[in-house]
Amino acid sequence: MKDIAEQEVIDLPDMDVEAFNEFATQQGWSDGMPLYIPTEDKVAKFVATVRGDNRPYPPVPPRLVVPTIQALAANAVMAGCKPEYFPVATAAMRGVLDPAYNLHGTLATTHSCAPMVMVSGPVRKELNINCGSNCFGQGWQANATIGRALGLMLLNVAGAKPGEMDRSTQGNPAKFTFCFGENEEDNPWTPYHVRRGFAPTDSVVTVMSGEGPHNLNDHGSNTGVGLLTTFAGGMATPGANTVYGKGPLFIIIGPEHAATLKRDGFTIESMQEELHKRSRVHASRISKENQETYNSTGHKPDGDWYSITPTPQDIHITVAGGPGKHSAFIPSFGGTTVACVRIAR
Amino acid sequence: MRIYNPTFGVSAAAGAKVALKPVNWKTDAIALVSNSKPNARELLDGIRSKLGASRQVDNIKFLAKNSASQPAPKDLLEEVAANYRGALLAIAD
Repeated sequence: MKDIAEQEVIDLPDMDVEAFNEFATQQGWSDGMPLYIPTEDKVAKFVATVRGDNRPYPPVPPRLVVPTIQALAANAVMAGCKPEYFPVATAAMRGVLDPAYNLHGTLATTHSCAPMVMVSGPVRKELNINCGSNCFGQGWQANATIGRALGLMLLNVAGAKPGEMDRSTQGNPAKFTFCFGENEEDNPWTPYHVRRGFAPTDSVVTVMSGEGPHNLNDHGSNTGVGLLTTFAGGMATPGANTVYGKGPLFIIIGPEHAATLKRDGFTIESMQEELHKRSRVHASRISKENQETYNSTGHKPDGDWYSITPTPQDIHITVAGGPGKHSAFIPSFGGTTVACVRIAR
Repeated sequence: MRIYNPTFGVSAAAGAKVALKPVNWKTDAIALVSNSKPNARELLDGIRSKLGASRQVDNIKFLAKNSASQPAPKDLLEEVAANYRGALLAIAD
């Protein structure tokens, strides 16, 4: 008889949810939160939502197995997704499999990074994905379970077991789930996915291996210049990977801040330029030892300043959230990319 | 009840098998490869010094990839494969 790990379908005695969770935990399938049971009939309902999307999956690093769609669906069931969320979760999975995303590195690193999932387009409303108040937080099934489904796929299919393949020193609460919607309705600029070349009617998932959101609180500034001063100051942090890893990052602007910046004439491009210039970290804020390491690995300063992205275009900007004077900075792992995938429907 | 295994997948096709010849650690050329994390080079320096007690060291060379977060680039792997019989990798986190 085959070992359980080698069986696509596993025959188990009938058991309740509590007993199944004990079993799943023993197998190493759990993220520590309760799981739903991936029965054949539930998995079939999920698989039916992606009929027609026959693009093959590549081997998933670090474990390097080619997943079946049923295995991916089993993780989405366990996460508590509704069947109609599954195409979003599989699009996110395809995103992290973009070679430039560097899935192996982002899963095996000691850094705390987790896959950030942003959803754009009409599917946000159809699935009730929260784009407004508390969009990074609790309370919405779609946000909570789509992000969790991706996390479980990475645990179970990719093999990112904490303390084993996943070597993160401290981890990050975003590893449980990190999914939100772009607030296109309150975005005074072009929606992010359209700037990336998709049609406004497309629904798109954007993924980046990032830290959790760092709040950018500014109740006092009434000008765009003032807000960008606060944003740049918050981004200029010597402890983020980006100071030497020089990868992409996200600035998620709250709608009230966005309205002020738009009123003062800022475009996405002018904000990128301004933030790239002003978020540099002065050498005096970086230890001598770190400066020596950065220099020896080719991460040299420009004069006395270390920039935190290779180019202004690596500062990805969009709008999410609800009323209030807050925005957010999401640093990345560094050696990664921001990947977009159209949701097949 | 019957459930789907959330870990199930088909192993990717293995690459062409290469017949490995045994390494003679006393004489063969060896690459000491750093992942560029702090102290990786110091660790490798120490290994080279210790190896010097029992073998020649002029054919033991230091190599490095320039980012700890990225896979080793193809040209580095080709350089190791072409010029060395063995490689020791430093992680040094």
